[in-house]
Amino acid sequence: MLNVEQVRKTFGTVTVLDGVNLAVKPGEVVSILGSSGSGKSTLIRCINGLERLDGGRITVDDFDVSKPRELAEARKRSGTVFQLFNLYPHMTALQNITLAPIEVLKRSRAEAEDEGRALLASVGLGDRAEAYPAQLSGGQRQRVGICRALAMRPRYLLLDEVTSALDPEMTSEVLDILAKLASGGTTMLFVTHEIEFARQISDRVVFLEKGVLLVDLPTRDFFAAGGGLAQPRVAQFLSKMRKD
Amino acid sequence: MRFDLTVLVPHLGFLAEGALLTALVCGLALVGGVILGMVVAIARTSSNRVVNRIAAAYVDLFRNIPFIVQLFFFYYGLPEIGIFIDAFTTGVVALSIAGGAYASDAIRAGILAIDTGILEAAEVSGLSRRTIFRRIVLPIALRTSVRPLGSVLINMILTSSVLSTITLNELTGQAKIVASDTFRPFEVYFVLLVVYAALTYLVSLGIALLHRRLNRDLSEPVG
Ligand SMILES: Nc1ncnc2c1ncn2[C@@H]1O[C@H](COP(=O)(O)OP(=O)(O)OP(=O)(O)O)[C@@H](O)[C@H]1O
Ligand SMILES: [Mg+2]
Repeated sequence: MLNVEQVRKTFGTVTVLDGVNLAVKPGEVVSILGSSGSGKSTLIRCINGLERLDGGRITVDDFDVSKPRELAEARKRSGTVFQLFNLYPHMTALQNITLAPIEVLKRSRAEAEDEGRALLASVGLGDRAEAYPAQLSGGQRQRVGICRALAMRPRYLLLDEVTSALDPEMTSEVLDILAKLASGGTTMLFVTHEIEFARQISDRVVFLEKGVLLVDLPTRDFFAAGGGLAQPRVAQFLSKMRKD
Repeated sequence: MRFDLTVLVPHLGFLAEGALLTALVCGLALVGGVILGMVVAIARTSSNRVVNRIAAAYVDLFRNIPFIVQLFFFYYGLPEIGIFIDAFTTGVVALSIAGGAYASDAIRAGILAIDTGILEAAEVSGLSRRTIFRRIVLPIALRTSVRPLGSVLINMILTSSVLSTITLNELTGQAKIVASDTFRPFEVYFVLLVVYAALTYLVSLGIALLHRRLNRDLSEPVG
């Protein structure tokens, strides 16, 4: 269970997260929607320990990310995929994927590489294991980014607008993979602007507005007239997104 | 006056000895300077204020004093307080310390230029700070800093000619002796010119190769 309880985060005088509660159960796919600046990225960064909380508590399988001793365990249980890929430029696709399994999980190189190759093959990059990030297209880089996160066998996959930097064709190649993961039972917390896609793959959709979690509903209810759409802010957001 | 290089033939062995000594001093000082440069660059990018200040002071100090003054201080000054270091060691150490100050700047710039997103990706994957530094920060920093480091190294080679002033008969020192023995300064210093040019050219060639290798992902065709 990934638990976010009453989380507060401020930058200077600006409150970016204001008492956020969120629970993600194993196997669930939860999408986070919200307009730009609503705090989606900050929430993800609080969960993986990149930002320090100003209040509340986040636990990943009972490991508290605010406690330095427990953060390492918490981080082993979550994997992050970034909007701008953030691959290690001096390493091949395969090296990007095997570094942490070898160094953190102490897996043998041979084992890590076998698994890394299998992961690459599963996202259609079986023949690009030795390529460097600069030699890959955006969509290919993001697929490597996903493999890098999956190689740690995380219980929870955190994805922050992982297709925003991609053109439509590359976006669909990445979304296809995420859909496969979702139906395969991977737990995901998924920040996105791809409303239709979120609707297809999510079990639940939450809506963040100015640091407050306004709506948290099962997907069908979220998009129902009497559910999430009853919230003016949500309706406004959705109609705006659909127009773009 | 005739330009006649054959007058140097009997002295070639002597000059070669000097060249070898130059190569040895520079080789050792290169290693010393780069290691020191790395350590200082790490210190200067560390979040520890004290460590940071000390490192910055070192860099400022040694970049703002003429090398020959540093050298004289080590070789002629220190014995006054009972510290005797032979000319060879003094030469290597002084050159390493001075070179390290410049090398640290080049490496530090490389470290600061690293995209923070890359470091965050490494951090959330659970890698220790040490591992991140060794496997990610340093290699990426070196990719961008090899070229400026190369200029630092070439400058160290050029600066090594000053070591003849502390009785270390490297290439320039030997050449001075030959020039006064043969009364043929033109030929002697002409050869000296060529040898230094060749030496630094070799180093810049090596640096270019190293740069290509470290950045091979950017040069190989996409396919
Ligand atoms: N390091 C920081 N320092 C100061 N303010 C920050 C920092 N990071 C984020 N913010 C502010 O926090 C607010 C929320 O930012 P965040 O990146 O979480 O939004 P977001 O919902 O991810 O937006 P987007 O959809 O544009 O990615 C914004 O107002 C942003 O300016
Ligand atoms: Mg964001």
